[in-house]
Amino acid sequence: MESNILVVENLWKFYGREVILKNINFTVKRGETKVIIGPSGAGKSTLLRCINLLVRPDRGRIILDGDVITERRDVHNIRSQIGFVFQHFNLFNHLTAIDNVLLGLIKVKKLPREEAMRRAKEALLSVGITEELWRKYPAQLSGGQQQRVAIARAIAMDPKIILFDEPTSALDPELIWEVLNVMEKLSRNGMTMIVVTHELGFAIKVAHEVMFMDGGTIIERGPPNQILLNPKGERIKRFMDRMWYLYSLNRSSKVA
Amino acid sequence: MNNVMSWIKDIQFFTYVNIILSSITTTFILSIASFILATIVALLLSFIEVFGPRPLVKAVEWYVKIVRGIPLILALFIFYYGLPRFGFPLPPLYSAIIGITLVDSAYQEQLFKGAIEGVSEKQIEAAYAIGLTKWKAFRHVILPQAFRIAIPGWINEFSIVLKDSSIAYAIGVTEIFTQAVHVAQVIADYLKPLLLVSLIYLCICYPLSYISNRFHRRLIEMGMIGS
Repeated sequence: MESNILVVENLWKFYGREVILKNINFTVKRGETKVIIGPSGAGKSTLLRCINLLVRPDRGRIILDGDVITERRDVHNIRSQIGFVFQHFNLFNHLTAIDNVLLGLIKVKKLPREEAMRRAKEALLSVGITEELWRKYPAQLSGGQQQRVAIARAIAMDPKIILFDEPTSALDPELIWEVLNVMEKLSRNGMTMIVVTHELGFAIKVAHEVMFMDGGTIIERGPPNQILLNPKGERIKRFMDRMWYLYSLNRSSKVA
Repeated sequence: MNNVMSWIKDIQFFTYVNIILSSITTTFILSIASFILATIVALLLSFIEVFGPRPLVKAVEWYVKIVRGIPLILALFIFYYGLPRFGFPLPPLYSAIIGITLVDSAYQEQLFKGAIEGVSEKQIEAAYAIGLTKWKAFRHVILPQAFRIAIPGWINEFSIVLKDSSIAYAIGVTEIFTQAVHVAQVIADYLKPLLLVSLIYLCICYPLSYISNRFHRRLIEMGMIGS
């Protein structure tokens, strides 16, 4: 078994004449958690959306588990192997929590109802959504609960990788913890994940590698301690100083 | 007011009320039949407009533009007075049903199209992200949500059709408004029968608008439409 589950090669994306992604190259190993940080407009979300083909890249290749997915036409089959967790949860509003998880299992994986039910319950319990919440609609759940159901919806599909697009940015501060906790557990259990986030604590504690993106490219990458605490480039230094300031921490004495 | 009260005491009053109410079946047949037919036509047209090939989309757009520009009474006259010239004489009730169906289908088409397009982009993205095909995303996410989004407007649309069905008076359909006018002519007093018939319309439309509002509020609570 090859150790790289995801390879992104020379990836470009344009909107009109504007370059959104330019020449992105990286690999993700099985069981690895990769964190992407960077200012807004850096192309982080577009990169994630390219990987599960919600956005078609204009140039370059994406290889998932040996399969060149940018050349495949049956995109829905590819997407069913890739979990995606959205910033605004995007739970199906007309379905209860458990039906949100069941939809993909029954309609995409075509599992028999009992088997789907078993897996949905297992997934919901693993993110701490207990039975009394299963029949509730998304609007009746807190943001943290909604996001955990969304994570359950992704993991129930038994994906090869899960992409998180700022999963805690739309949450109240006291709800962020419960979502990060679930994600940390996932990572420890060997799930392969790419996480776009501004949660530096999570990045330091959980990430195997951190990539800093700006202007559509990866500017710097490395182990979390190096990128978050001792960055080399000027741009990333400035960015990190501001990020640490938000955390009310003095990374060094030169916080602006 | 005194005048009205004394009319209620009049024995004749109940006769007249009976005459007017005896035609309520016609009003219901007329409005329900045209409404349902218009819904069927409108659903087909809205699917075409949202998913169809470009030439058909254009055709639907023009259909809506043209039909919305036709006054209802004109549509009724075309089908009642116009068709016999082509050898299709129709009884007034059928002409009225076809006329109202034609015009209302254009309005309902807009309603359904709006509902389908009103399903949030985020919901559709999520549907694709779990691996649903285009058709399955439509079948299991877009359609059920669009259906719910359309309900309040659809109920209101029925109120409008119910009231518009009174225009069938002009081609001689004997529905409640026609009967009220007849009674008015017999007793040489328009106000009382017309007030009575407006009360009947109100008694049907008010509960409908109440239900519609309840659905609307529920949709906002569920987060399916913005408040």
